[in-house]
Amino acid sequence: MTDAFLRIENLTKNFGSFTALRDISLSVLEGEFVCFLGPSGCGKTTLLRAIAGLDIQTQGRVEQAGIDISVLPPSERDFGIVFQSYALFPNLTVEKNVAYGLESRRAARTEVTGRVNELLSLVDLADQGKKYPSQLSGGQQQRVALARALATSPGLLLLDEPLSALDAKVRTHLRQEIKQLQRRLAVTTIMVTHDQEEALTMADRIVVMNHGIIEQIGSPEDIYASPASEFVAQFIGTMNFINVVVASANQGTHQGGVLKFSQDNVSQGESARLAIRPEDVEILDKNNDENSDKVLGKVVSAEYLGAFLRVTIAPEDWESNLLADISTDIAAQFVIEAGGDVGFRLPPEKILAYQENK
Amino acid sequence: MAATEMQVREKASPLKAKSSSDDKLMRLFILVIGAYLVVALAMPLYAMLSKSVLNSDGGFVGLSNYFAYFKTPALVYSIKNSLFVGLVTTVITVSIAFVLAYGFTRSRMPGKPIFKTIAMIPILVPSLLPGIALIYLFGRQGIINWALFGHEIYGPIGIIISEVFFTLPHALIIIITALSIADARLYEAATALRASSTRIFFTVTLPGVRYGLISAGFVVFTLAVTDFGAPKVIGGDFNVLATDIYKQVIGQQNFEMGAVVSVVLLIPAALAFFVDRLVQKKQVALLSSRAVALEPKPSRRFDNGMLAYALVVSFFILGILGMCQFAALFKFFPYNLTLGLSNYQFDLMDGGGWDSYFNSIEMASYTAVFGTLIVFYGAYLVEKGKGLGVIRGAFQFLAMLPMAVPGLVLGLAYIFFFNMPSNPLNVLYHTMAILVISTITHFYTVSHLTATTALKQMDAQFESVAASLKQPFYRTFFRVTVPVCTPAILDISIYLFVNAMTTVSAVVFLYSPHTTLASVAVLNMDDAGDIAPAAAMGMMIFYTAAGVKILHYFLSRGIEAKTQAWRRSIEN
Repeated sequence: MTDAFLRIENLTKNFGSFTALRDISLSVLEGEFVCFLGPSGCGKTTLLRAIAGLDIQTQGRVEQAGIDISVLPPSERDFGIVFQSYALFPNLTVEKNVAYGLESRRAARTEVTGRVNELLSLVDLADQGKKYPSQLSGGQQQRVALARALATSPGLLLLDEPLSALDAKVRTHLRQEIKQLQRRLAVTTIMVTHDQEEALTMADRIVVMNHGIIEQIGSPEDIYASPASEFVAQFIGTMNFINVVVASANQGTHQGGVLKFSQDNVSQGESARLAIRPEDVEILDKNNDENSDKVLGKVVSAEYLGAFLRVTIAPEDWESNLLADISTDIAAQFVIEAGGDVGFRLPPEKILAYQENK
Repeated sequence: MAATEMQVREKASPLKAKSSSDDKLMRLFILVIGAYLVVALAMPLYAMLSKSVLNSDGGFVGLSNYFAYFKTPALVYSIKNSLFVGLVTTVITVSIAFVLAYGFTRSRMPGKPIFKTIAMIPILVPSLLPGIALIYLFGRQGIINWALFGHEIYGPIGIIISEVFFTLPHALIIIITALSIADARLYEAATALRASSTRIFFTVTLPGVRYGLISAGFVVFTLAVTDFGAPKVIGGDFNVLATDIYKQVIGQQNFEMGAVVSVVLLIPAALAFFVDRLVQKKQVALLSSRAVALEPKPSRRFDNGMLAYALVVSFFILGILGMCQFAALFKFFPYNLTLGLSNYQFDLMDGGGWDSYFNSIEMASYTAVFGTLIVFYGAYLVEKGKGLGVIRGAFQFLAMLPMAVPGLVLGLAYIFFFNMPSNPLNVLYHTMAILVISTITHFYTVSHLTATTALKQMDAQFESVAASLKQPFYRTFFRVTVPVCTPAILDISIYLFVNAMTTVSAVVFLYSPHTTLASVAVLNMDDAGDIAPAAAMGMMIFYTAAGVKILHYFLSRGIEAKTQAWRRSIEN
């Protein structure tokens, strides 16, 4: 494996007595697209600002391209940044905005113009150069900000919630565009977002954060399929949780009965939380007794969502309801309607187990 | 072992960011401007405070000056007089201003722009001017003195009328702002619930503007209590704190007692200021809600009533102004009604002649240019600078302080500080520079707030982006900050110019025979009995200030047109 391009070691940030980041360590590879994902207040933006040198960390080390940049001011680091507000200079045209970082580098005028044109066509705004930011749409402004950040060919691109000020349709479109651009330029990129869909679709690796710590680092598939903690499990995607007491290895009891699971990461005799995705719930024939782990319940509601049916089930004697996503063709084999009975099972190999946090 | 020890020590002290050359430069600049405020404000005030506990030989006497003060009934009586004038003026001005503002914001009366402009006129004249007009109108030979039914205009009546004239625009601006942030949806809801218009007024309108009214009240009170021009001209034997300071210092050369009275005057002004700051914070909270603008509906009776009211108020303002202009143009009003310019032969009178007029223009220009530079740059450094948190906090405090310091008090403080033989800065004494410095300082707060507001409206990330693009901060300052803030910068310079033209209070202690000022000339000519020339000079100040205002209007319009393409984004 190649050496990390950006290395963060034991980074801590305090605001007075409040700890915003606690002992964060992580590495980013060259050309990688990494997302910091988490709810607001989890410290993701604080971490980004520490990497940029805008708000320096209280403790810890930041290393970029083998150089210790821990205490350097932003102007002595090598990065481009796009903020949620874009921070485009309102009194300068699009061209001038993009050229802002180029002009004073004593580059020849024609060279600057060439580079600006190149960048503007890169973000598909070649004909908008003479306009002022206020004359552009939100999505266009966002791309100008991106072009400006990339103009000086920085080693690191930082994106601070770059899409959250846009409406849903533009956002989806820009997601792909940014991702493609990033791939083409192979620029190491860190994006902060609270939108899991954004992170799952764009990132090579996701850093899930909560309360100032890293909960999990992994590829989108890893994060979705095997969430390392209960927090990640409930933050990413939809998840059913069932509180149980671990009676014996791979068996949890709750008031609705016994549930088998194959993970063995929880200790016997303690309470645990079992988790399963709605799409992993298996619907069974309610009259067929072949399956020993069949559970019976009532259908509370069934929403038709195109490719699948989202069914809310109230299993007999359970504490809480269960969500099940059933593909439309499987659903067609059963009669699933609100108020009706239904049978299902939770495949043990699909169940995730988490020790209850005390 | 050593390594662990090192680690422990490292853990104990947080990392310190390495300062960029930008950071260092900005820190240097903030120290320079901070030093200006220390020298021009903090040290003179300290000199004044310490003077109040010294005897005339410079020996420390504790509070005995204060005891002497409170044992002199004539002086203590002034406290009561000042409070009386302040309270009555506050009630009258706020009432008049509220109704007028209500008409401007809630009626469809015609001619709003003209009436608004007329209502702003008092800002453009020295506070001495209404007093002079009142002498002509209601004085012993006044043309309509029967209207007072035998009461004397010299005294509280004259002072209060003058103060109402002088403070009206200040109250009006605040109350109009408060009324214009009203939320139309509240009125729609109240109407839908079938509340009567009286009930709507008391349950929706008044609560909505209560902070504005309180704020206006404090501003008016402070202005009326600390004003020196009106009581000087028309106060007669009715002594107030402001005239006491002047008399103690100029009349009796009793500087220590002047300092004591100053401290006494500082208390209500400072108190009003701090209460106002608290109230303003709440007002901001009201403002931030998402309101739908209220469109007044036409109502013939109400609109006509408001029009009549605006006409009366305008008549009062224009009457005062017109009286002065008439008196200035007639040879000896009301006895010799030959038209002529004899009252404009200022060189034949006390007060410095035409030179004082040109000195005033010079002084106002310097104040506008240097004041705007210092204030705007200072506000920029406080807003955008990094590090030096304590110093930036102290800077912010010093910038807010002049609002709480009456002009006379500041002027006296300057005498104490800049006239000290041991102070190397005493070379400034009796120069144009000290007039400019005192005026900039006197009007620092409002200018600073204007600049700060404009800077706060800018995206906070501009500087971060510029740093990531490795651009020095001054490049962003000149290419982005200044162009975006140009309207505010113009506002500040005009505000400083107009106030420098009209102010009397601080500079009255600081002018020299070579640096007489127009506003002080009004005072001195009036003092010498040359009332008509005083009126003439007062009107010269008005025309100059008004001319500059008009210039400003067209300049802003031009800039607006030129920058229209990009300014849209800032507005929405």
